[in-house]
Amino acid sequence: MGAGGNGPRRGGLEALSVAIATRTLNGMGLPRPHMLTHSALAGLCSAVLDLDSERAGAVVEDLSDFMRFVPTAARNGLAAGAVGIDVVSVLTTGRRLHRLRPEQRQLVLDRLARRSATADLVEALKIPLVAAYGAGRHGVAQLAHPQHPPARPDAPLNVVNSADFRSRAVVDAVVIGSGAGGAIAARALAEAGVSVVVLEEGRRHLVEEFRSQPALERFGALYRDGATTVALGSPPILLPLGRAVGGTTVVNSGTCYRTPERVLARWRERHGLEMADSLRFGALLDEIEQTLAVAPVRDEVMGNNGRIALRGAERLGWSAHPIRRNAPGCHGCCQCAVGCPENAKFGVHLSVLPAACAAGAVIVSEARVERILSGGGRASGVRARRPDGSELEILADLVFVAAGAIETPPLLRRSALGDHPQLGHNLAIHPAVSIGGWFSEPVCATEGVLQSAGVDEFHDSDGILIEATSAPAGLGSIVLPGTGRSLADQLARIDHLATIGAMVADAPSGWVHGWGGRPVIRYTLARRDATRLLKAIGVMGRILFAAGAEDVVTGIRGHERVRNEEDLEAALRAAKVEQLHLAAFHPTGTARMGREPETHPVDPNGRLRGVEGVYVVDASILPTCPEVNPQLTIMALVKGVTEEALAGSSG
Amino acid sequence: MRFTETMSGTWQRSGSEEMLPMTFTVRVETSGRMRAFGTVAGKLDGTISVEGLASDAVAKGSIEMSPIEHRRIRYLLDFDGHDGRAYHFDGWKSIDWLHARKSWTTLPGTITDASGDVVGVATLYFAVGDLPKFLTSMRPAQRRVSRGSELERRRWHGEPGRLEVWYQTFNDPSTGAGFWLHHEVVSPTSGEPAEGRGWVAVFPAVGAPVWERFGPDPVSPGEYFGAGDVAVDPGRLVGKASDISWDLAIENRAAPIYTFSRLAWKREVLPAAQIVSAPAARFSGRVATPEVTYELSGAPGACARIYGHGNAERWAWLHADLGDGDVLEIVAAVGRRRGLKSLRPLPLVQLRLAGRDWPRTPLVAASKFRADIALPEWKVKGSFGDRRIEVTVRLPEDRCVTIPYSDPDGSTATCVNSERADAVVETWRRQDKAWVAERRWELAGTAHAEVGSRP
Repeated sequence: MGAGGNGPRRGGLEALSVAIATRTLNGMGLPRPHMLTHSALAGLCSAVLDLDSERAGAVVEDLSDFMRFVPTAARNGLAAGAVGIDVVSVLTTGRRLHRLRPEQRQLVLDRLARRSATADLVEALKIPLVAAYGAGRHGVAQLAHPQHPPARPDAPLNVVNSADFRSRAVVDAVVIGSGAGGAIAARALAEAGVSVVVLEEGRRHLVEEFRSQPALERFGALYRDGATTVALGSPPILLPLGRAVGGTTVVNSGTCYRTPERVLARWRERHGLEMADSLRFGALLDEIEQTLAVAPVRDEVMGNNGRIALRGAERLGWSAHPIRRNAPGCHGCCQCAVGCPENAKFGVHLSVLPAACAAGAVIVSEARVERILSGGGRASGVRARRPDGSELEILADLVFVAAGAIETPPLLRRSALGDHPQLGHNLAIHPAVSIGGWFSEPVCATEGVLQSAGVDEFHDSDGILIEATSAPAGLGSIVLPGTGRSLADQLARIDHLATIGAMVADAPSGWVHGWGGRPVIRYTLARRDATRLLKAIGVMGRILFAAGAEDVVTGIRGHERVRNEEDLEAALRAAKVEQLHLAAFHPTGTARMGREPETHPVDPNGRLRGVEGVYVVDASILPTCPEVNPQLTIMALVKGVTEEALAGSSG
Repeated sequence: MRFTETMSGTWQRSGSEEMLPMTFTVRVETSGRMRAFGTVAGKLDGTISVEGLASDAVAKGSIEMSPIEHRRIRYLLDFDGHDGRAYHFDGWKSIDWLHARKSWTTLPGTITDASGDVVGVATLYFAVGDLPKFLTSMRPAQRRVSRGSELERRRWHGEPGRLEVWYQTFNDPSTGAGFWLHHEVVSPTSGEPAEGRGWVAVFPAVGAPVWERFGPDPVSPGEYFGAGDVAVDPGRLVGKASDISWDLAIENRAAPIYTFSRLAWKREVLPAAQIVSAPAARFSGRVATPEVTYELSGAPGACARIYGHGNAERWAWLHADLGDGDVLEIVAAVGRRRGLKSLRPLPLVQLRLAGRDWPRTPLVAASKFRADIALPEWKVKGSFGDRRIEVTVRLPEDRCVTIPYSDPDGSTATCVNSERADAVVETWRRQDKAWVAERRWELAGTAHAEVGSRP
């Protein structure tokens, strides 16, 4: 045990107090953690990142700052996890973690790593600690102040904060959500002379904020619940959702793939979507591409991360290409996911909403829609809530729901419009897995476009789309293995790590439950998709080895680092999908549109079945996973729906 | 139901932080019975004080009470400010049965000016102390002969260059005869005094139709139409034209049909607009010609209104009573303004089936319909949304009268009209990309129609 003097007795007392603290976690719900929790977190931080107490204290401070964005349950979970590990420390060493010497702390963590359940706990707690260590206010990876002036000024938007918007308004149409779908609907409506109000739950973010705030702070502000949304299942899958004026387009990587023809054919044939006609949909995609100024990543901003992927694919003779993006004037600062500090990425807040506002649309920010009002089988408006709890109501005959595939089903349910048995079902999320490769030469993955090169060799055959994807400095896109000294050494050498991710076209395997508060997302990874994810790891490993990686970080437990393809094959044979770190960024299909009234809550023209005047115009109407980053697909589909609505709005 | 309600609170001018007092007291009068589960419309009459904007100004408007169906009680008030400009208050109580007291007594609203720009926002409250006064003010509604009486009220208030029409068409099921009463106020563009005039036409089941003019006479003061011996009052028509006389009571239970959209009628955004103020009216009383005296009892027909700058360049009109309260109203017209004359006729179609009007936006829908105007037969067809319609109207020459019209600007037109016209109406619904037949009606000698043209 190694505890000297009166250690055991004191340890016993501490154990008691820690136990009491774990039973009464009410202190953890506070933005500032309870003293005990703070010291438990600091101890854990010192142990995981091999830091002295002062540095660990700073990291915990940054983490606590960030924790104000996340739901109480996640805050309590983090606190309970830290305190739990502290209890283990007391029980096994007689002392709390933060009072141990570094090698003793490592012993505690090693002990925990031996059991699968406790290893999962440490891995889960490691993620926020590493992020706070890297990207917090005191983080090691301070983003350099942007070298370039903004590519364009903030767009002139008619944004009114809900506090300044009248409590009663009457307009022709309300759009719920200002993301990819909502923006396109708002623009089309406004340009047709319809008076439009767009209600957005998030707020407007200006470029100055992206140029001055640390990455973690921006991360917290731009994502729903600080990006802690998780699809429950085995494994649980992280599903970050953007929330801002401009929606997820403010934080996506800007990747713009056109909807593959085979997906359109499936939508036409199996779901009766006439709109998915190749010519017509092609024209819609052309228009959207033009609006977003889509172009391939230029070589000078590609960055080594992308070049490595292209080099690996080339050596293997696989099809690869620079990704097409909506980022005219991008200098490759690799911060897409926390808001572009150069206004180069042409999200809808810069490209589409300005046109909508110029045509008369008004965006009301920080207004969460409580329910869609209806009576007599017709929509009559919406009721929204301001952050202070007060309500505002807007009457409108037309309501366009663009709250996203996760929020749309609960919204319809709490509006008493969610009777359709398939609403909230058929959730596809396009699950993604990432791996890394250590190179002898510096990679500097954060210098260059965040998502830069695509490898589509296995896209048609297996639905695997590989994209060289980095992350803003400090916010790693993969979970590095190990704790303590070993993790610290890796973090110190992070410039030599290249990261690459793959998304798998999945079967609709999820559900969105709930109607108020936070929806519960359930996702059961299909057997076929699990196999494909493992195949994707193998394929990505081959690309990295072909490009010259010394070893590859697989994310597979027990085989975290492999040195060659044979080891990788062995690792894949031993791999359990339930132990992988998966994330997903493209939830779709929860109110899919199609011909059959029994199986599709939304008709082929975007109208919600069972009520008049409600259109769904977001990713939830996609009948299946689009198999590519869905930005263009959503926008083109919504453009088609809104055009139909304007042409044929009848009683 | 009638009652008086006072709502008081504060308002805030746009861009200002200052909360200023505001209050209104209105007499609420709803037509018909109160229906807790449905939606009841009523009118508001009273005074409003908005500090800095108006004090004790006359406030008129409407109320929409729907505490369960829409969970909303909406107040719309028009008033004039100190500055002589027109203002509009639009607000509603949002009924939440879990917070009944608060939601029934809180009225947030918005004040806009005539152009629709927001002048300020208000939050008004019903003082619970006023409850006894409020309750004792409750009275059953006055029995009203016609729900459309508000719409029969004269729109013209002395402007030159206006034409306002009250016309009624109906059939006597016992004899098969058709009737047409047309009352108009023509206010010449030249600024000369306005005249009240019109005509009556009788279409017997056998033999040629007859018609006689009345007026022109000076327009009588009063809220409705009056000239010489002829008067239109809510629920009552009295008059004499040469040797044809009439005295009729009208009952109507149906809501009006805004053929050109509600906005077009209320805000005069078009050169002229027509509404059917009483689409399913029942006429009782007497029409006497030298040959026959018709004693009518509940004869089916309609009352309609036109207000605007004059008649169209070319037009066709149909009113078809399809039975069971279902009605089809069509006005297809070519405007007289420069540039409009050469356009195709714009068919405005309103089909009321089971109390629902289709299309909801007649002006928007007009582009989807096509009219072929000719004599003795004209047609309208087209589809909007998920319904298609085809209408063929026939005006046999021997059942028509031909009447010269004159406009406020002195120009003339010719109108061929029959209240014993034939019509075939067919509708289809869209199901899975195909049109499926929905309904078909054949009206033999009971359709009301006309075709107007200019030389």
